Amino acid sequence: MKVIACCKIVPEEQDIIVRADRTLDTGKAVLKLGQYDLPAIEEAVRAAEHTSGRAALLCAGTAVIDNSKLVKAALSRGADELFLVTDEALAAADASQTAAVLAAAVQKIGFDLVICGEGSSDIYAQQVGAQLGERLNVNVFNAVGRIRLSGDSIIIERVLEQEVEVLEVPLPAVVSVTTDINLPRIPQLKDIMAAGKKPVTRWGFGDLGVAVRSPLEIISTLAPESQERKHIIVEGDGDDKIDIFWQQIQKEL
Amino acid sequence: MIDFQKTEEQELLLESLREVYKRGDFEDYFKECDKNHVFPEKAADAMVEAGFAKLGIPEKYGGTDCDFTTLIFVAEEAYALGWPSLCWVNQALQVDDIMAFGSEEQCRTILDLGLKGIKPFTLGFTEPQAGSDSSAMAAKVERRDGKVIINGHKTFNTAANRSPYMLCLAREQKNENPYKDFSMFLLPMNLPGVQIEPLDKIGNWMMQTCEVYMKDCEIKESDLVGVAGQGFYQLMKNFEVERLVACAANVGMARCAYDEAVRYAGVREQFGKTIGTFQLIQEKIVDMKIKIENMQNIVYKAAWKKSTGQSIMIDSSLVKRYTGQAAFQVIDDAMQIMGGIGYTNDCRISRLWRDQRVYRIMAGTEEVMVHTAGRALIKEALKK
Ligand SMILES: Cc1cc2nc3c(=O)[nH]c(=O)nc-3n(C[C@H](O)[C@H](O)[C@H](O)COP(=O)(O)OP(=O)(O)OC[C@H]3O[C@@H](n4cnc5c(N)ncnc54)[C@H](O)[C@@H]3O)c2cc1C
Repeated sequence: MKVIACCKIVPEEQDIIVRADRTLDTGKAVLKLGQYDLPAIEEAVRAAEHTSGRAALLCAGTAVIDNSKLVKAALSRGADELFLVTDEALAAADASQTAAVLAAAVQKIGFDLVICGEGSSDIYAQQVGAQLGERLNVNVFNAVGRIRLSGDSIIIERVLEQEVEVLEVPLPAVVSVTTDINLPRIPQLKDIMAAGKKPVTRWGFGDLGVAVRSPLEIISTLAPESQERKHIIVEGDGDDKIDIFWQQIQKEL
Repeated sequence: MIDFQKTEEQELLLESLREVYKRGDFEDYFKECDKNHVFPEKAADAMVEAGFAKLGIPEKYGGTDCDFTTLIFVAEEAYALGWPSLCWVNQALQVDDIMAFGSEEQCRTILDLGLKGIKPFTLGFTEPQAGSDSSAMAAKVERRDGKVIINGHKTFNTAANRSPYMLCLAREQKNENPYKDFSMFLLPMNLPGVQIEPLDKIGNWMMQTCEVYMKDCEIKESDLVGVAGQGFYQLMKNFEVERLVACAANVGMARCAYDEAVRYAGVREQFGKTIGTFQLIQEKIVDMKIKIENMQNIVYKAAWKKSTGQSIMIDSSLVKRYTGQAAFQVIDDAMQIMGGIGYTNDCRISRLWRDQRVYRIMAGTEEVMVHTAGRALIKEALKK
């Protein structure tokens, strides 16, 4: 089986500085693999292992993601190869643009199954997986908490509010997986050493024949205003207490 | 130019270590183990599973090749995260000791233990009358009617209750010169005649150190490691390197205490401001940081010298003496910054303070380091 895991390179949250005007400074932040994408990588690697197939990673972003340590970090998690798509236009890409770029890359690589994380660690719009499936015109599901392989199809479980939905999905397909689908492996030294020797393919927009235009205009991105704590404590579990608690919440909403 | 940058592979390995540590959420567990004086099995298992026991054991024996400097970085980082003293899972150097002189069977046994993260042997060196003066060791080996018999009393044997073997030094009683009279044996700790009694120490509660009595212990000739009469020199082979790894623990424990104390200084308020705004506290922080930087520099440089084939005979004594004292001062200052809470067992710094103290005594006291390095430095000066 040919499995592709999509993963985004994001700034480390702890390093992001909120300026006085509430704008964000990511200039000093180290880059890392999106945390919600790690289960996607792990699931892709397991699927490839079980089917004696191949797991590829796909990352799109600006030139900064083509960094040798990041490449090793990504490949040390078990995948066979990495595809990097870089273009400066991706700096401000929205979900639609990202999905268009990934769709072109995924088609060029060839696939049976594409696995995305639940959302990106920075924007977390949870849109890319769904839009990617739509653009590829294949079956697409989000909130997948389990994948079982079954020949030409996969059996997935989606945890919904009241029930667990079990679906058999013919391949090819795109799924976005939840963070509890697995516990991603932690790379060992031999994985890290091997990562540096795995193939990396680098593409620009020209190689993929994509040109992206955004239907979206971002006017500003601001951190929430910090507020003083209210220091309201309601103790007890009687109806009257819960009433007071509820009134306080309502007042703030 | 001198390059202080770790390689990407080293950085990624340390990131993996931090990830295992974070995932395990070991802090409360360590506190519990410390209180109950038991080894942190669960945490050690997690580290073994994550591959940290294999590091430095040759690939062809099921390990992962790893250079000595990287092993030091890993040990330092583990202790900096809060790993308990004397409990680190990597036994590569003990394995290496046996690989250098051991028989094939001995190598296989020790490798197997090392890969599982089990400390293969307790070091059987110190005896009640032979501490700094190893030549006074009196445990003896006798060969009677084709039997090999060991009698003696060892003390301060770390992990004697956990390790399947003792690397036991015993006198052959054939050569007047004690250094040429010791033989090295891998003595099974489950032999009849072996009696183990734990010592009641002020720290390092997660790892026992014991007295071991050996009464007419019958071993086999095949338990001899290397050449009879060469035991002392064989032990010296890796001794400098092992000393350096112990020093990595000093650096790590100091960093652990520093990190916690500095954070505390930034938030603890007295007299309406954080204590970190008081210059007396800042002075401590700055001096602690200088010592940590110095410790890292001296340890890394010695590791680099060793890796490039230079002698670290003098360096290892300097490093041992310096890091033992500097780490203790850093941890002591960290406790001071914490105030009263630092003196309670709720605060990790109190454990570091109790545990690290012994690094100024064991594996060569800081005075003996003067004794070894001092003479050598003068000799070196006269040669020029
Ligand atoms: C927790 C712990 C774990 C240990 N683990 C092990 C182990 O696993 N295996 C093992 O074999 N041993 C182990 N040891 C023993 C340790 O190595 C010895 O305690 C150490 O070598 C010092 O010997 P001693 O205690 O007999 O002190 P002594 O040698 O009696 O020293 C007493 C004092 O005299 C000083 N002194 C001695 N000689 C000189 C000199 N020439 N010049 C100046 N000052 C001198 C010393 O520095 C010290 O201050 C351990 C000890 C401890 C506390």
